[in-house]
Amino acid sequence: MFPSKVSSAISIRNARKVYEGGVEALRGVSLEIRPGQVTALLGRSGCGKTTMLNLCGAMDFVTSGEVEIEGKLTNTLDDAALTALRRNRIGFIFQFFQLLPALTAQENVEMPLLLAGAKNAAATALERLTWVGIPEKAKSLPFQLSGGQMQRVAIARAMAHNPAILVADEPTGNLDTASGDVVLQLIRRAADEFGAAVVMATHSLEAAAIADVKVRMRDGHIESVE
Amino acid sequence: MLQLFRRLILRPLRRDLTRTLLTLVSIALGVAVVIAIDLAGDAATGSFQSSMTTLLGKVDYEITNNGGVDETLFGKLATLPLNARFTPVIQQPVGVAVPGVPGASATSFEELLSGSTTMYGVDIIGNPDAAANAADASGDLDPENLEQFVVVSSELADRLHLKKGAALELQGSEKNARFEVRYVVPNQRSEWVAVDIAAAQDLLSMQGRVDRMEIFLAPQQDEQAFLKTVRAVIPDAYELETPGARSEENRRMLRAFRWNLRILSYISLIVGAFLIYNSIAVSVVRRRGEIGILRAIGTSSRAVLAIFLGEAMLLGLVGSLLGVALGRVLAGGLLKLIAVTVNALFVTSAPGEIALSFTAVATAVASGLGVAFHSALLPSLEAAGVAPAEAMRRASRDHAAKLHVRRDLVWSVTLAVAAALLSQMGPIAGRPVAGYLATLLMIAAAAMVSPVFVTGLLRSLRGPLKKVGGAEGLLAGRSLTASLARTSIIVTALATAIAMMVSVGIMVGSFRETVQMWISSQLRADLYLRGAGPPSAGVYPPISSDIQGLIADTEGVDKAEAFRGFEFRYEGARATFGAGEIAIQKGLGALQFLQGNSQEILTSLQAEDHCVVSEPFSNKHHVKVGDVLQIPLGKKIAPLRVMGIYYEYSSDRGYVITDWSTLRKYLPEQPVTNVAVWLKPGFDQEKVQRVLETELRKYPVTIAANRMLREQAVIIFDRTFAVTYALEAVAILVAMLGAANALLALVLDRRREIGLIRYLGATTPQVRKMILTEAGLIGLLSGALGLALGSALSLVLIFVINKQSFGWTIQFHPPGVLLGAALLLVWVVTVLAGVYPASVAAALQPVETIHEE
Ligand SMILES: Nc1ncnc2c1ncn2[C@@H]1O[C@H](COP(=O)(O)OP(=O)(O)OP(=O)(O)O)[C@@H](O)[C@H]1O
Ligand SMILES: [Mg+2]
Repeated sequence: MFPSKVSSAISIRNARKVYEGGVEALRGVSLEIRPGQVTALLGRSGCGKTTMLNLCGAMDFVTSGEVEIEGKLTNTLDDAALTALRRNRIGFIFQFFQLLPALTAQENVEMPLLLAGAKNAAATALERLTWVGIPEKAKSLPFQLSGGQMQRVAIARAMAHNPAILVADEPTGNLDTASGDVVLQLIRRAADEFGAAVVMATHSLEAAAIADVKVRMRDGHIESVE
Repeated sequence: MLQLFRRLILRPLRRDLTRTLLTLVSIALGVAVVIAIDLAGDAATGSFQSSMTTLLGKVDYEITNNGGVDETLFGKLATLPLNARFTPVIQQPVGVAVPGVPGASATSFEELLSGSTTMYGVDIIGNPDAAANAADASGDLDPENLEQFVVVSSELADRLHLKKGAALELQGSEKNARFEVRYVVPNQRSEWVAVDIAAAQDLLSMQGRVDRMEIFLAPQQDEQAFLKTVRAVIPDAYELETPGARSEENRRMLRAFRWNLRILSYISLIVGAFLIYNSIAVSVVRRRGEIGILRAIGTSSRAVLAIFLGEAMLLGLVGSLLGVALGRVLAGGLLKLIAVTVNALFVTSAPGEIALSFTAVATAVASGLGVAFHSALLPSLEAAGVAPAEAMRRASRDHAAKLHVRRDLVWSVTLAVAAALLSQMGPIAGRPVAGYLATLLMIAAAAMVSPVFVTGLLRSLRGPLKKVGGAEGLLAGRSLTASLARTSIIVTALATAIAMMVSVGIMVGSFRETVQMWISSQLRADLYLRGAGPPSAGVYPPISSDIQGLIADTEGVDKAEAFRGFEFRYEGARATFGAGEIAIQKGLGALQFLQGNSQEILTSLQAEDHCVVSEPFSNKHHVKVGDVLQIPLGKKIAPLRVMGIYYEYSSDRGYVITDWSTLRKYLPEQPVTNVAVWLKPGFDQEKVQRVLETELRKYPVTIAANRMLREQAVIIFDRTFAVTYALEAVAILVAMLGAANALLALVLDRRREIGLIRYLGATTPQVRKMILTEAGLIGLLSGALGLALGSALSLVLIFVINKQSFGWTIQFHPPGVLLGAALLLVWVVTVLAGVYPASVAAALQPVETIHEE
């Protein structure tokens, strides 16, 4: 029933998260997130989805329990090591796209590669833009793009450095159905073609439909995993 | 409304405390400089009469004359049927020494300054007030011993550690004499010593002559009748006027100088204005959403306008008040610097007390508020224009500030052309009004071109930035372009400050170089001899008539030229009259003329009643070659024909030079004040100097070698311009605070983006590097713009403002290395100004900022 550690990209074990104000966002949750699979986090607003994603993205620490990302316990890593983990192994997608407004689409995609000091950043970026289907928008600035296009650029950027883990927080939350579908297809392909472990928080049924594993949460607990 | 103000303004001001404080400090500094320059300027120029008033009481009228007033006039005046008291006065520099304390053998410039003071010779018997003052402590006045005691000012007493009863030696041109200190006049701000007039005449061998006649009118005396009666008695060449007229004349002489300082001080206020604009613009941009909500729930746009203008006025008021306090402190420091300049270039005066008048405070606060109001107007109007729907729109964007390349360029070129045309205009009422206006237009032109310049340069730097700076370089360049409005304001503010530094630097550097070249051509003799005392404008201590002969007989001396200089008045302004021995001067090429053959001009001076004048004199009085000057000399008025105009940079006052043969006709008694000594070839200058010093040791004279004089000239020059350096430093400081402020605003505005790049894998050092790169780019942009603007401004300063104010022709000699070093320093400081904003950026929590909207 329980898969071996090696086959998991992320292992969350008995994680508790208490915010500074005293809010207990996670009350002891355990979850395995595997490569090549899309794991969807479902549940009401405030149930702890974003908190879980922050843990998966090495952006935050648990109060107690363990989070292991690719065999590394995040609690034992310092800021530099966490940053290294993110820049090499993790990609992020957000509800509000979060493109850098001063950079063109291609430069946005290049950014994680440049920050990591990678070579051929420009060529790789163009490759990813082609992969998401909008190479012609390479030189456009974000304000010249539609919401769907912006999110596609964001996905290209998240996948630029070929991450092992893709973290997506309500990626379709700000999109119409048609654009949402395109974005969901790309997320699915990220798992299938790149073998990424995708973990996605969502409210939408369409999004849940592409998931291999559906995790239902409530008040900081995991209700069910299917 | 008040509640709105509290919510929308006060609370954010407190929340962004660092930024609020930075803004306040920059306004305060701007205002402080303005008020300090005003206060110190007033104090440095407002007290020409104070010491005499202490001694004799308030003087109503004075009789003066070029070359001195005949003492016998006193007898004639005293018998006139007038209700008035007449007092002859001598005012001359003398050497001072405390017997027993090793005297000042001026081996250094500093010592040279310390060995002398101003001596007043007054008729103590005829002056009950002075007598009372002098007798104050001792109670008895022994008329027999009058000539043996002195009264000294507290300032001099402090320096020489004199007490009542101490011995003091005064060294006049003809003899030295020992006196006893009878009284120390307390609370004096200048150094002086007063002796009986007979003793003074004896010391200076001025028998039969005094410097002026002071007149005290009784209240019942009719002034018109008095003037008529006295004018009938005194020779035509003599002047009769109120001491106020003299102070007024001094003030007029200093007007151009003070205006130039004032303009410099306003530049720091302009820099401050950019910063207030920036600060208010930030608060508008950051509160767009909030303003939108307020508008949606029914707040009028006028109320929004009022609230933001209110913020500016609040910042302006608090900043100005802080500035007044700071300015009062700064004025104390500036006063010394300004007094040095005033003494070296214009007129000898003792600095007065700094008085924080109501008008000065009101002017400072008003200018602070005015600047705050005007610089806040645009961003406040923008706030008032925020549509209610704005609340629904996402994050504030700077994209509103679109680039209007063509419009901006057209404006900039128009302003620059207007500035160029203005700088061709002559002075208005003796002041370079058009020149000042041209500098303002130039700054405006630079402000207009700034956005185009910033985008253009950043665009051309795109490739190198990415190649060298990687992701951080790319981001830094792009975010500056994206926040164009913000970036160009801070670049303009910094560039203005840098331009001021550059232009004044070029002007002073050129001036310094010009003066140095002039001095090397002017100083052709090997040794120079003058009366002891600090070199100061308008002061020519006479030296003994024996000296020229003694020198000529010394072994190794080839020739000795005597020069007689004295202060005179021409058309209400002070100038120097000098008589040399042209026969010796000829062939040395010391004087360089604007036009004409210098040999011919000098030869022509040997003819009767011919003169040459200095360039500032010719400019000030609109004198051309061939004009005939009417100059009162002694009891006659001499008609002197101008044969040439020569370059002169030693002071703002003009020079009229004749041959001694001409002056001797009018003032045969005029004492020698300087001697230039040429040595025979093969003789060692130092040895001869030592021989002369031993031979002349009983005379209060200083002998300076050619080299020492050149060095002195540079020292005096640098002291003279110390005040401008101080002003520049403040302007740069203001701009640096502004840079830190603006960078902080840039960081806070982009919290979300900075958080985001952390998600994308940026390390904290990378975030830091990005902000520091932005600081470096801002420094680079401002440096380039500032250098261009500054070079243009320096041309106006040198060829328009200075020329029209002081009449000097300065050659253009930009001090390259110094400027380069200064620019590098400013650039480094700008990068340092980025350190705090960078650490704020590095400390941002990405998880929090990314979810903020
Ligand atoms: N930085 C924080 N400080 C304090 N409390 C927080 C913080 N972030 C989240 N919380 C609280 O933790 C709980 C879980 O929040 P979380 O953002 O994980 O919910 P969510 O499932 O993502 O909700 P939504 O669907 O609305 O995005 C909430 O009660 C929230 O108020
Ligand atoms: Mg959430």
